[in-house]
Amino acid sequence: MSEIERRALMKGAALSALAFTVGGKQTLLSPHQARAENVPFRTLTQQQGDILEALGETLVPGAAAAGISNFVDQQLSIPPEEALLEARILNIRPPYANFYRAALSAIDRASIANNDNRGFAQISASERHKFVDLMRQNKISGWQGPPGPFVYLVMRSDAVDVVYGTMDGYAALGVPYMAHIAPTKRW
Amino acid sequence: MATLEKVDVAIVGAGASGSVFASVLSKAGKKVVLLESGPDWQSSDLISSDFWGRRIKPAGIPFTLEGKNPYGFAYQAGWGVGGAALHYFANFPRYLPNDFKVKSEHNRGLDWPINYSDLAPYYDKVAQEIGVSGDAQAEEIWRPKGEPYPMPPMKTFRNGQVWVKGLESVGIRTVPAAVGMNSIKFKGRPACIYDGWCHVGCPIGALANPVVTYLADARNAGAEVHALSTVTRVLTNESGTKVTGVEYYDVKKERHVQQASVVILAAWAAQNPRLMLNSSTDKHPKGLANSSGLLGKYMMAHYASGTWALFDEDVEPHMGTVGAQFMSYDRYDKTSKKDAFGSTYIVCGTAMKTTDLGGFANARLDLFGQPLADFMQSAKRGITRLTAFGEEMPNIENRIELADGKDEFGMPLAKIVHSFDQDAVALWNANFEEGLTVAKATGAKEYWSARGNQPTIHLFGGTIMGRGAGDSIADSYGKTHEIANLWIAGPGLFPTEGASNPTYTIFAVSQRGAEQLVSKWGTVAG
Repeated sequence: MSEIERRALMKGAALSALAFTVGGKQTLLSPHQARAENVPFRTLTQQQGDILEALGETLVPGAAAAGISNFVDQQLSIPPEEALLEARILNIRPPYANFYRAALSAIDRASIANNDNRGFAQISASERHKFVDLMRQNKISGWQGPPGPFVYLVMRSDAVDVVYGTMDGYAALGVPYMAHIAPTKRW
Repeated sequence: MATLEKVDVAIVGAGASGSVFASVLSKAGKKVVLLESGPDWQSSDLISSDFWGRRIKPAGIPFTLEGKNPYGFAYQAGWGVGGAALHYFANFPRYLPNDFKVKSEHNRGLDWPINYSDLAPYYDKVAQEIGVSGDAQAEEIWRPKGEPYPMPPMKTFRNGQVWVKGLESVGIRTVPAAVGMNSIKFKGRPACIYDGWCHVGCPIGALANPVVTYLADARNAGAEVHALSTVTRVLTNESGTKVTGVEYYDVKKERHVQQASVVILAAWAAQNPRLMLNSSTDKHPKGLANSSGLLGKYMMAHYASGTWALFDEDVEPHMGTVGAQFMSYDRYDKTSKKDAFGSTYIVCGTAMKTTDLGGFANARLDLFGQPLADFMQSAKRGITRLTAFGEEMPNIENRIELADGKDEFGMPLAKIVHSFDQDAVALWNANFEEGLTVAKATGAKEYWSARGNQPTIHLFGGTIMGRGAGDSIADSYGKTHEIANLWIAGPGLFPTEGASNPTYTIFAVSQRGAEQLVSKWGTVAG
């Protein structure tokens, strides 16, 4: 049996994809699809989702369209032992929503304080880039919240996950995925 | 509360060491129950994805992480059957003779109560039992002669081969890395197909994780696994001379008592001391088997100095295994680096995915936005990494102790306090410097050090082995000095950590301990 045939044989026993609530029903969607269908957030507020999307796109181009806010929101709404977030392996204590709320709040407060009363989702792309560069170096004056470099690490990881970590992301980058057992819905 | 029928052996934790004890003891006819706090994973649960792979690691830990270099717990740890060895890289370097006598030879650290020669037969036995691929004869430039490995070395790829010339330029010889993976079909388990998903669990069984090796053997011999069962205390008799079983909580948070003739703590180097400290009685006021006061002391971690190199040629970063292709002990002497102390173990040739802590998106953590996107395009064909693992000396201040706060079962949390000393920092830095020299000699287009916070990798100590109750918690087999039917298994027993990946040695020490327990069963359990 060829290696390709063996890989194909191993496909199939995959776990369910991400479950989103659409019109009161549980539906399996990719975060990209959830964003495209305007699936409402379960845990984050719309404002928090907007900040996260703006931050994600600043960190990794394509993260907004890939549905970073829907991904994180969906993950925050399920039991922590089922979560797929990198927060899990970075020793963040559940519930993970506490960290995300604190981090997004800190980002927006600092943006308002340093950008003429404009929140992070309201500032320009170049201002966002400059803000993130300072945040990752812990150089934002008056920062109040989880350490900026750690927020950068966690959020960058989420953005990298949704853009480069999926089967579609591998395909777009041009790296063979080569699953033994493929995740469903190309997740 | 339910008190369950007494068994011969209750094993706390179904990871690497617990699975070895379960296999040996159940095959010897003992009635064995393993109590595992996580799920009973099957191979079909091991989805090839960095996202899904995080499910086999803990979500929230009952420890606080303190010190100058807080321990990076969750990435290292396991959750469920197989433990951390369900997602380990299966690098199988041995410890060398100089690891066992650091105190005697250098007046630093501690000695093991055994020598390399005591463990060597068990390395050979484990290799035959679960399968090791490599070239034992080639390794014998650094260690005493032993048995050949049962399988030839694994395939190599350009992402590993490109380092060899650079390493040779500084006098570092390489040999095929010994790995717990199948280069050919072995005992009914298939050969590896080099897809590089080892770190999220190998579902085809080409990698020797406990679920497809020791634990499978144990189950076939009648051992029972109780998953989602969290042990909170080890129970003792009134006089404190023997353990009688363990208290645990099931997934519904209902309390049970599992009576046993022998209790083996195999819940990893952090949880074992937490359990023993939480099991204190008036006869053992400082925690079980802790008259020395050393319970929870001498915690150790490895650290790595990574060197990234970017080539114009396609080195196929995605191909291979997450284990190494080449290895070297040429910097393993404890004094091989000036102004530093400790062994260095060097590996290269690692399959790389895009994401997660080891993914190449993290090769330049400073990059974000379009520069990161540009970097990903260049790295996808040309990036590779050299890794030098370093040794930390045991320090009594690096410790585990109970802390304020309780977990969901009412058990006190514990804190892990960990800081690297000057020697570890110096060796980490020296290995970065040499890595850059090596990378330059490879002809790579660009190269740089993977600097950041000094990482903590693997975990050792806390229940160290030694010669008696005055200097340690257990003997070299894992039997506690003070309670004959309470045993400890795993890397917590190690008095020093060497620089080699530990799991092969965990298997070998556990195999030796388990066989001793079988041979002394009457005096231990009687």
